[in-house]
Formats: sequence, C-alpha cells, structure tokens
Amino acid sequence: MSDLLDELPGEPMMWVLIVSELLVFGAGLAALSAMRLTDPAGFAEAQAHLHRAGAALNTVVLVTSGCLAALAVRAAQSGREGRKRVLLVGAMALGVVFLVIKGQEYAAKSAQGIDWETHPFFTFYYLLTGFHAAHVAAGIVLLGLVAVLRDPRATETGAAFWHMVDLVWVLLFPVVYLIR
Amino acid sequence: MTRDPLLLAWAGLVTLSLAGAGLSLVPAGPVLSLMALSLALLKGRIILHRYLGLAHAPRWRRGFDMVLAGFCAGLAGLALLI
Repeated sequence: MSDLLDELPGEPMMWVLIVSELLVFGAGLAALSAMRLTDPAGFAEAQAHLHRAGAALNTVVLVTSGCLAALAVRAAQSGREGRKRVLLVGAMALGVVFLVIKGQEYAAKSAQGIDWETHPFFTFYYLLTGFHAAHVAAGIVLLGLVAVLRDPRATETGAAFWHMVDLVWVLLFPVVYLIR
Repeated sequence: MTRDPLLLAWAGLVTLSLAGAGLSLVPAGPVLSLMALSLALLKGRIILHRYLGLAHAPRWRRGFDMVLAGFCAGLAGLALLI
C-alpha cells in the first residue's frame, strides 16, 4: 500500500482533493446530461445562446497556463527560483485572461436577459461554469502563494490543483457547449 | 523540433482544443457527441499523464484512465439517447 502511495506524484492529500472535485463536477455533468433527455429541443435552443468560440479560446488559454505551471514545477525542482516565479506569474496571468473571457460571456448573457432561472440548462450552466470559475480564482491565489515559497513540493502541489481545474474544464466544455 | 514531453503535450492539447472548436460547425447528433467526448478523453489523458505526472505512475495511470474512459462512455451513452 505504501509502495502504491509512493508511486503517486506529489502530495497524496492533493490527489484526494483532485478526486473529490472530479466526482463533484462529474456528478454535475452527468446530471446535466440526464436532464437534457427530458427536453432535448429546449436544451439545444438554450445552448445556442452560448459563445462556443470564446469557450474554445478559453480551453487553449487554460491548457497553455497548465503547461506553464508544469514547467514551473520542473524549474522549482532544479532550483531555478527566478524561472519558476516567471512561469507561475505567466500561468496566473492566463488564469486572469480565462476569467475575463468568462466574465464577458456572463455579461453577454445578462444583456440578453438570460439568468440561471431562464431555463434548466442555464441553471446547470451557471452552477457548473460558475463553480469552475471559482476554482480558477482559487487556483490563481494558490499559484501566487507557492510562487513566493522556496519549496518545490509546494509548487508541485499548487500546480496539481491548477491541472485539476484544467482537467475539469476539458470535460465540462463538450458537455455544456458542444453536445446537442 | 522539440522532444520535451511537456511541450509536446501542450502542442497536442492545443491541437485537440482547436479540433474541438471546429466541432461547433458539425450538425447536432451522435457523431458530434462522440467526437466531442473522444477529444475530451484524449485531452484528459494528456493532462493526467503529462501535466499531473501519472506517466511515471503506471498503476495510478491505468486506474485514472479506466475511470475517465468509463465516465466519458457514460456521458456518450446519455448523449446517444438524445
């Protein structure tokens, strides 16, 4: 058992958090997929109001940010603190870009008079993307904290949280924005 | 041409993401659903293997791969019922 745990990269407790978060988002995505069966036409009509290109751009932004975080872990492990900080600041900046694009998407919905009660699809949309955006904001703070710590293990833990946010988004994107 | 696994992973993720963006042009239906979820599965595996480092933890990698594939298969099953 300890052999198996030793094989796991990074902090085991962060993996517990990652699995917990994936279960929560997974349940939400499964619920949305099941609810869609009750009103496929209504869900498709509601989904047509989403800005798919902006969400696709956000996918590229997040996976690029994840790459910078992964490179920061490598820099921390080789003792290159300056490079680690620059890479983490880059990852955080892209996280902010993600939130700005997401904010514009919410503003556009609001301008159209769409809120979370407009249709059940939008209830799921706001819950899932809003909860994810909250994780992005928390991840930016976490990356900022590990950027100032001279501890490669902390950097690896912070980056793992960021990758979880990335992983959730790549699963959320097709279910919320594409499948119809 | 880089051989850095992280940069190759990033290039793969960007390519798959752009392919996902292209799916918005595909008409609604089972083909779209299966393609979208297949791309998500591939991207998820890259993130788990390369960004999260499971490429160096074969037993954990197999477990996560199986659960992720099962989850995407479940979503595909629901999508095919639309």
